[in-house]
Amino acid sequence: MGKLYKFLKYFFITFWAVFVVAPFLWALTTSFKDFNSVNGGATYIPWVDFEPKLEGWRVLIKSPANGGVDIIEPYFNSLFVTCTASLISIVLGTLSAYALSRFTFKAGFVKNNDITFFFISQRIMPPIVLSIPFFLFLGAINLLDSLIGLIVVYIVLLMPIAVWIMVDFFNKVPREIDETALIDGCNPYQAFFKVVLPNSIPGLIVAGMFCIIFGWIDFFFAFILTFTEVQLLPVKIVALNSSITPWWSLSASALVSVAPLIIVAFIVERYLSKGNLSGAIK
Amino acid sequence: MHLMKMEFYPLLLLEVLMSKIDLNNISHTYNPNDPEPTYALNPFSMTWENGKRYAILGPSGCGKTTMLNIVSGLVRPSAGSILFDDKDVTDLKTEDRNIAQVFQFPVIYNTMTVFENLAFPLLCRDFEKEKINERVNSVAETLNLQSFLKSPARKLTADQKQLISLGRGLVREDVAAVLMDEPLTVIDPDLKFRLRRKLKEINEEFKTTLVYVTHDQNEAMTFADNIIVMSDGEVVQAGTPKELFERPNTTFVGYFIGSPAMNLFETEASSNDCVKINGTLIKTNTNLSKLKNKKIKLGIRSEFINLAEDQKDNLLSVEVDKVEDLGNYKLLTAKMGELTIKSKITRETEVPSSDVKLHIPADKCCVYENEILI
Repeated sequence: MGKLYKFLKYFFITFWAVFVVAPFLWALTTSFKDFNSVNGGATYIPWVDFEPKLEGWRVLIKSPANGGVDIIEPYFNSLFVTCTASLISIVLGTLSAYALSRFTFKAGFVKNNDITFFFISQRIMPPIVLSIPFFLFLGAINLLDSLIGLIVVYIVLLMPIAVWIMVDFFNKVPREIDETALIDGCNPYQAFFKVVLPNSIPGLIVAGMFCIIFGWIDFFFAFILTFTEVQLLPVKIVALNSSITPWWSLSASALVSVAPLIIVAFIVERYLSKGNLSGAIK
Repeated sequence: MHLMKMEFYPLLLLEVLMSKIDLNNISHTYNPNDPEPTYALNPFSMTWENGKRYAILGPSGCGKTTMLNIVSGLVRPSAGSILFDDKDVTDLKTEDRNIAQVFQFPVIYNTMTVFENLAFPLLCRDFEKEKINERVNSVAETLNLQSFLKSPARKLTADQKQLISLGRGLVREDVAAVLMDEPLTVIDPDLKFRLRRKLKEINEEFKTTLVYVTHDQNEAMTFADNIIVMSDGEVVQAGTPKELFERPNTTFVGYFIGSPAMNLFETEASSNDCVKINGTLIKTNTNLSKLKNKKIKLGIRSEFINLAEDQKDNLLSVEVDKVEDLGNYKLLTAKMGELTIKSKITRETEVPSSDVKLHIPADKCCVYENEILI
């Protein structure tokens, strides 16, 4: 029984690992192929099955004048927009979440839970509903096709996630922590920054991770709200495609674009495994 | 000219830092806008003397915690005022009052070490580094936490964490009072006993006013100089353990304090100082002349009822129901018709197995009308 269980367990883990890693392997090998190798059927082992070429990777950093696609600028645009929007969303979201968790608001029939729901409801409708209003709005304030405009839009998209996660997190932090800090002589601001916030780092990390992921992978708004001046990575990668699909450079750029998320995943995983995320209170 | 150089030596005042706490006509409701608000705390006045130990005793939900939160400033009372040393602090914020509060569950700052936890109240008040070191080390010594000072607070066990909460309260010398809201709930019985004694020692040594909320009468009786009994948002009685035990103000106190609960008999006044229990006249020391033919209750502690020896009066003839040996005493349960009477007797007393006479001392009888002591 025990052996069978162990066998099945490892069997499924191995199966799942192969299932998840295989596309990456495919992308990795493809990125080193040229036109002939790609069309020569499914091959995976370099130097044996095909002759590896660096063309797919070179194209990414060459300027368009030299026949390249230059994803470096879109890459840094994406990094900048995602990080700035995530940071602002986390700061604003955490502050609003703390207020929503600790103080009672009332305006007519609108109460704390309704305000929280208002934030979350921003994510309920399909993004396409928001595209025209955002387009007109950014057009009116002259921020179409600009990094600032994208940051504004991404804050709207990411802040609900931060509020949602942090309200839930703060609700689980006992009020006694705040009260003890007050009794120990902090004013409410010190209580928040010195005691509650350091205790909430796990929540902040989770919220930050979600913001970064959702900001990084967004294609839709980046596609609609920019034209020529500013391009984000997802849009640039899609634009690589032409009448003859360049599988090699598409694969290379796909690998480059998931790299930051893999790094984030490793950092968070390390934090998770230290056990810091669980049992933060009591 | 002769110049006289005057030197003023500061008087070596032994500064009394702790303060007296006055609660004047305090009441509190959580729904003040309601036309008929329900009171979590009915109006009451009370003075907590400096350096004494108080226990607030009552069943869950009777307003004990609200009372503490009002004193510490976490809750502003709907009416009334709070004075620390005759200074009105009703509108003073929590952080500006010199109060320490320990909650039922340990509250520690997870991200800090034990030392930083203990130092936090002093850091918030900008104490000097040496002073902080000195105070933290002395408190850690008192609470046996020295060996943990450098470890992260979250790694400690529940009762050590509670010691930290307690330590944060004691680390300030100038604290007006340390309020404790059932602080020993999470601590196991053996340590509980030791900690209670420790708290008593701390109080005696540092003369810190301690206020201790509990629903356990034994805890209250063994810990406090003064017990405040609460029920349904009302302060029912405040007094020394002896007063509460011998002269409970209401039948509730008689019932709530003491084990077993006070014997209570429904009866009527039959003369100026006598009541009739199942046909037997029992003399009391209470003047009952105004209570003729009114329904009253006679209360007497089982500790004061004994087997009759040579007394002539105030005897009840009862049937022995059972005798339980409870270690240091025997509990005799007797029947008199419908009535059940409990009596605590010494272990050595031999109880006849059938009918016995019990003596009810007149001076220990309490008479209640509408559940209130006359």
